This record gives sequence, structure tokens and C-alpha cells, in this order.
Amino acid sequence: MENEQLITPWDLEEAERQDSFYVPEYIVNMAHEVNKHYDMQVSHMEVITTKADKGGLIWKIETDKGPRSLKLLHRRPTRSLFSLGAQEYLVKEKNARVPSIIPTKDGKLYVEIGGKLWFVAEWIESLFQVTKDLEGAKELCYAIGEFHRLSKGYTPPPGAENASRLYRWPKTYNKIVKKMTWLRDIATVYNEMPASSTVLSVIDMFEQQAIKAVERLGQSAYYELVKKGNKEWGLVHQDYGWSNGQKGDGGMWIIDLDGVAYDLPIRDLQKLITGTMDDLGGWDVHWIKEMISAYHEANPVDDQLYEILMIDLSLPNLFYKNVKEMVYEPTVFMDEELKNLVQRIVDIDKTKWPVLDELADNSWLGGKSK
Amino acid sequence: MKVLIICTEKLPVPPVRGGAIQTYIAGIAPFLGQKHEITIIGRNDPSLPDQETKEGIQYVRVPGGLLETYRQGIVDYLNSNSSFDLIHIFNRPRLVTSVRECAPSARIFLSMHNDMFKPQKINPDEGQIAIQEVEKIITISDYIGQAITEWFPEAAPKLKTIYSGVDLDRFVPVYSTKAEKIRKKIRKEYNLEGKKVILFAGRLSANKGAHVLVRAMNNLAKNHSHVALVLMGSKWFSDNRVTDYVSYVRSLAERSPVPVITTGFVSPDKIQDWFAAADIFVCPSQWQEPLARVHYEAMASGLPIVTTNRGGNPEVVERNKNGFIVEKPGDPKEFAEHLSTLLNNAQLCKEMGQYGRKLAEEKYHWDRVVHDILEVWNEIEQKVKNNIPINVEATEEQVTVEEVEEQDVLVTEIEIAAESDTEIEEIMEETEELEEVEKVEEDEEEVEEVEKVEEDEEEVEEIDEAEEKRNRGIFVCYYNPPAPPWINTRAG
Repeated sequence: MENEQLITPWDLEEAERQDSFYVPEYIVNMAHEVNKHYDMQVSHMEVITTKADKGGLIWKIETDKGPRSLKLLHRRPTRSLFSLGAQEYLVKEKNARVPSIIPTKDGKLYVEIGGKLWFVAEWIESLFQVTKDLEGAKELCYAIGEFHRLSKGYTPPPGAENASRLYRWPKTYNKIVKKMTWLRDIATVYNEMPASSTVLSVIDMFEQQAIKAVERLGQSAYYELVKKGNKEWGLVHQDYGWSNGQKGDGGMWIIDLDGVAYDLPIRDLQKLITGTMDDLGGWDVHWIKEMISAYHEANPVDDQLYEILMIDLSLPNLFYKNVKEMVYEPTVFMDEELKNLVQRIVDIDKTKWPVLDELADNSWLGGKSK
Repeated sequence: MKVLIICTEKLPVPPVRGGAIQTYIAGIAPFLGQKHEITIIGRNDPSLPDQETKEGIQYVRVPGGLLETYRQGIVDYLNSNSSFDLIHIFNRPRLVTSVRECAPSARIFLSMHNDMFKPQKINPDEGQIAIQEVEKIITISDYIGQAITEWFPEAAPKLKTIYSGVDLDRFVPVYSTKAEKIRKKIRKEYNLEGKKVILFAGRLSANKGAHVLVRAMNNLAKNHSHVALVLMGSKWFSDNRVTDYVSYVRSLAERSPVPVITTGFVSPDKIQDWFAAADIFVCPSQWQEPLARVHYEAMASGLPIVTTNRGGNPEVVERNKNGFIVEKPGDPKEFAEHLSTLLNNAQLCKEMGQYGRKLAEEKYHWDRVVHDILEVWNEIEQKVKNNIPINVEATEEQVTVEEVEEQDVLVTEIEIAAESDTEIEEIMEETEELEEVEKVEEDEEEVEEVEKVEEDEEEVEEIDEAEEKRNRGIFVCYYNPPAPPWINTRAG
């Protein structure tokens, strides 16, 4: 299909002018084309969410076979195929609570149009978000642990990439260290901005934290652990949180699997814990223990993996995530607001270290006492 | 001889989508084709037929993208066309085993443009078999050869460095009459008259080190008032967003005490103009680079070079003769010191530039590449004729290798296009960073999304990604629209 129009990210300004769910007409037309590949009559389509900046979106479609979702995956097809294969594997081989993929009329998992993969999946009507309290957090943790356990052994279908982040941890860690230098350089040359002195006053500390984490990772069992290989470790969601893990028929469902990749499973857990502590406004050892315990019940965390989790939590995740964009437009971004944000992050960070100290000994989880 | 050249699965030959390896192959093939019967197998492309014969060379194109898919196409082809005397594989040791199975009696060569023998790229058993099966491994720098022996010492006797080269008619010395006109025109256009122009050429990526050079301007400006820095190259801009690295460099440049000019994308046939307009060339590479082509271009252009002690880069710079070598690539001060020496001494600049041009004329021209390759092919031809079994005399060949070690050359051409597979990976990685730009929402779900994106940038090994970006008009030269240049006029 040489002359086929390729799907590209669309204009965010246009989307803002119209409405946030604006979708270019050619993509809507493609969606109708895609529908024809399925044994179903579509009576209504509703845009649920878009990734305009990347060229992806989800519709909820009403069909004569019941409600379904139609998804346009923004990633390159070989990458998307990895995720679709994973979803199919989890449903078919493992009876996991992830939405089933509806096959096309000719039995395929997807349709390729516009240089992207599209697919239709079952719409789970009963889903609702868990409560934003410790019980909810535990449910999320247990569910993702179960997901990790079930995903072990997955082999991607022919033609799919092998999406893995298992071996990239050192690189990811080092990147954070490198960018601390960038932030310092920028804060130094834009020293008249309100946030610059605050950033400069804390950058060494966060840089040291990152360097320390790199060192600890290097001395940890990481290299031993990754030797187990991708399939033994299984898949990590990479985008897991309060809306991608929801309660419904039969228990917790995991949705939006398109970012899954082989990885050390505790990466999902680390993000969930870090995000939750940010919400709480400070680190809480009780919450974390309960969250890890809930996870551990579904997918046991041994001593070595526990250590990696502690190291991953020790990275200046919150600071890095919120401040890294400073390099874009320093004269706009480094304002009073950033100054206050950094101050808030520093305050939260102060509560983190006593908690991590306390967690260092994992005997409470049944591990070896350090 | 009947020769099969196997390209990589990433980009097609001829290089309609860019790529240094592809350009290299397309460049040498016509000459090699005069002496031997050549078939080139590569990945397919909508703009090219799956089979064709052009200028005596037969092209076969099979589906590419993923190595596994591509390998199958090669295997299928070889199973029905097995009569090759020599099979020359480019940059893909992972193809050797399958090729050997299909062609038990062919001599196999490897050309290595990157460190593809490291454990992340090939498993040790497969690497060992690959080395065992090949007759010779041609590398684009000694550094790449050393990188291979680090993991596989037994490869040493088979290694031969063949350096890249440059078009000496296109890149002319800054002091030549031909350069003078271009030089004047560009300097006028960019308000560089009366300035000493320091040139960087390459993509704007952290590995290439433009940021260190920009920072060095702070040190330099204290003692030199008539300096300007030109960053030639782009970072492919998408949706008016830029990567965080480009932003970082731009933010630094906006506060630079000397004018910093970025040219944005410069088309391949125009890059020699910027070399002609410059006074000093700097390659501030931070990574272990196989050997950046820009060095040859700087030499041909008669410019003194400041490069870093990284990868294969210092191999073509004779210290204090055609350039200086920075020992601590991350240190702006060291760059400033060397630059200062050159800025203070016009005569030294001239002498170094002339010496560089002399080196280029003697050692780094295109014919030499072809000559060197033919030489190694001919050795094999003799073996074939004399029925000498595969892979004997490795030790004797080693002697040859060492004798020839001094010269060598290679190709170039494509400007801001990726120079190698590693570069493509790097580009993809940094392109992924584009996605980091999205603002962090307070909403937790959005925050998670941003985190994931940040992880995505680590996905570096897929080719299709590179093509996808190119299709979107943000990557390799042929489809790359001019990036909006940003010019720091504040200090100018």
C-alpha cells in the first residue's frame, strides 16, 4: 500500500479549538474501514481518550454483539504486535482478567491501516475504580502482582519485536544522573529566575541520590537477576495505576496493555508506591509495607528483588519527573510555581529516607533479617 | 568471482532513505562490479523493485525491519542461489550462522561499522561461531577491531581496518579559490564577517557533545571577542516540539557570550559549504564513537581539528599536526584551551589545515577504499583458485593485516543522516524523548503516562521506528525538512 496515508500525531491546537476528543477525519474514516473487517454491526462510536501527540486513540463502540473497544495503537506495528500477543496470551493461556481481543472475520488479532495496528476488544461494563485509600492501594498491588505472575512464559508472535526493559536499568539510572547536570547548567545560566536558586540548592543532593542508586544497582544482584531472562521474569505493565487497574466482574481487571514489556516486575510496584506517597504528601511506612505485602502475596518478592525495589525507590523519581522539563523554556518554567513545587518535593523527600531505612530490613516480609 | 553483498535489515540500498552503511555499499559497488559479478541483497522498499539489474549489479530485495524476518528472506534466497564464491555481510554478525548453513563452501566476509559483537548485541556462542566462519573482518577503525577482540580475542588474526574517505573535489580547502566565494557568501549571510568561526557538524544529541562546546564558549569569550560558534545539523523537529537535549543546548546557547548559530538541517550536497566557511572544526564526541566521518571532511576542507579521545576518532588525527585531541571530553575548559591556542595563532591554524588536506589527499580518498576492499577480495580469489580450504592461513593473513594497517579509507556522503546502526538507535532513543515534552499533569494517571513515555525513550533497538520517524518528515536527510534554525543574535 504505497500510497496509503500514514497516521501521524495530530494538531493539538486544533484539538483545543474544537474539543479535547478531536480526531482528524481521515482517521475516523479509517476506523470505519477497520470495523468492516469484523463480524459486527457498529451502531455508535464514542471517543474515550486520545493520544493526539502520539497518534493513538480509543473508541467505545456499540455493536450488535455488545459494547466493545476499538483501539488505534500509536506504536510501530511490530511493537504493538508484541503487546497484542501478550494480551491474547494472558486471556487464552492464563485466563487472566484482561479484556479479550475480538478476532477479525479472517481470524486475525488486528487490522493494519495507515501504518498502525488497530484492534477490537471486549468492553468490560462493570469496571469501577477502587477507592483511593489503603485498601484500594492493596487491591491494586495484589492485582498487578497476579498479572506479573501470570505473564511469565510469554513468547511474542512471529514478526513481533522483543520489547524488553530488563537489561536497561543501568542505562535508565545513568540517564537520570546525566540530566541532573543539565538541570544544574540551566539553573546556573538562568540565575535570575525565581526557581533557580532553589533548584541549585537541592540539585547536588538529588544528584548524589541518583549516583548512589547507580552504585547500589551496580553492587546489587541486578546482573544476576536479569540472567534469568525475559520470559522467566514476564511482563511489566509500565503504565499501571488507579485507572488501568479496575474492579469488576470476578475481581480486579488490568487494562490498556499496549505498553507492556519484559522487565523486573517491581518496576510497576515502585511507580505505584512513589505515586501514592506523592499523593499522601509524605512517605508512610505502614502503607508501603501493606502494599508490598499485598503484592508479595500474589507474586513473591525474594530478598534480591526486594533489594532492587529499595534501590529503585531511592532514586529521586519525584524530583526528576517534575523538574526535567526545565530545560525547555527556562525563562517560563522556572517560575514561583516551580520553586514551590521543588520545595514540596524536598519536604516529601525528607520523609522518605527514614522510611527507606526502616524498610531496608525485610524480615517483616519474611525475608532474611539484615 | 561471484559475490553476494548482504546489507543490514534496516535501510534499503541504494540509500533512498539514507544511512551510511547503505551509502558506503552503493558507493563501492559500481567499482567492485567492474572486476566481479555482484549481487546485493537488502531490505525491500516501496520505492524500489524487489529485483533489478542496474549497472551490471543485481539487486534482490526482501522484507526487512526485524532481523529475524530479514534473515528468513536471505535464507530463502540462498537456498535457491547457492553458487557464490564470496559472501560479504555488512555489520550483522548474527547473519553468519544462517548464511553458512545455506552456503557451506562460500567464503564469508564481515564489514563492521559498529560494536555489534558486544553481549547486548549477540550471544557469546553465536559470536564465536560467526568469527570462526568468516574469512576476514573489515572494520572502519582500529577501535571497532579492538572492541571485537575485547569479547572475542580469537578474532584478532582476521581483523583489518579500512578507514573511510571523502570526496576531495567536493570538500575543498578553505584557503582555495574555490572555497573563497562560498566562504564570503555564507559569512555575509550569517553576519559572520570578521569572526573566527568554530564549526560543529552532526546531529544535536548528547553523545555528539554540542553542549560541551557551547559551554566552552563561556571560557573562550574571556580572551577572544571575535568568535562565533556554528552548530551545523539538526535534531529533526516534530510537531514543533524539540527533544529535551536540543532544548538544553538551545537554552545554554541563548545565554552564550558569543553568537551561536544553528543552521538547522543542511542538505547533503550543501554541507561542504559550511566547512568552507569555517576556521576551526570541533568534534566534541562524548561517546565511544566508531569513527566519525566528519573528520575526513574537515581534513579535506583544510581545517584544524579539535576532537576527543573517544572511540576511533583520534585514529585519524595526528596530534599537533592536523589537530588536537581532548583527553577529558566532558570538560569545556580543555576545549577552550585548545581553541584558544588556535585562535591565537593563525599560522598554526593554516599549517594544521594544510597538513590535514595533505593527509586526506594521500590517505583518505574514495579510490583507496575500493582498492583496499578489492585487495582483500583478491586474496580470497587466489585461495578459491588454488582450492585452499576455507579459513586456513589465518596467521599469515594477520601479517598482511598489520602491514596494511596504516592506511585505509571509507565512505561518507550523507550528512546529518545516521552514520551507522548505533547512530540510528541513538536517534530513535532521543526521538522518543520528544515525547517527554508533554507537560506533567497533576492528575495521577497523566503522571504515570509521562513516566511511561520516559521509559519508552529507552527503546532503542528498532529500525522501524527510525523509518516511522522519517516518514513523518523528521529524520534522515532525504525527507527531512529544514529544521527551524535558531540564531543567538543577542551576543552578536
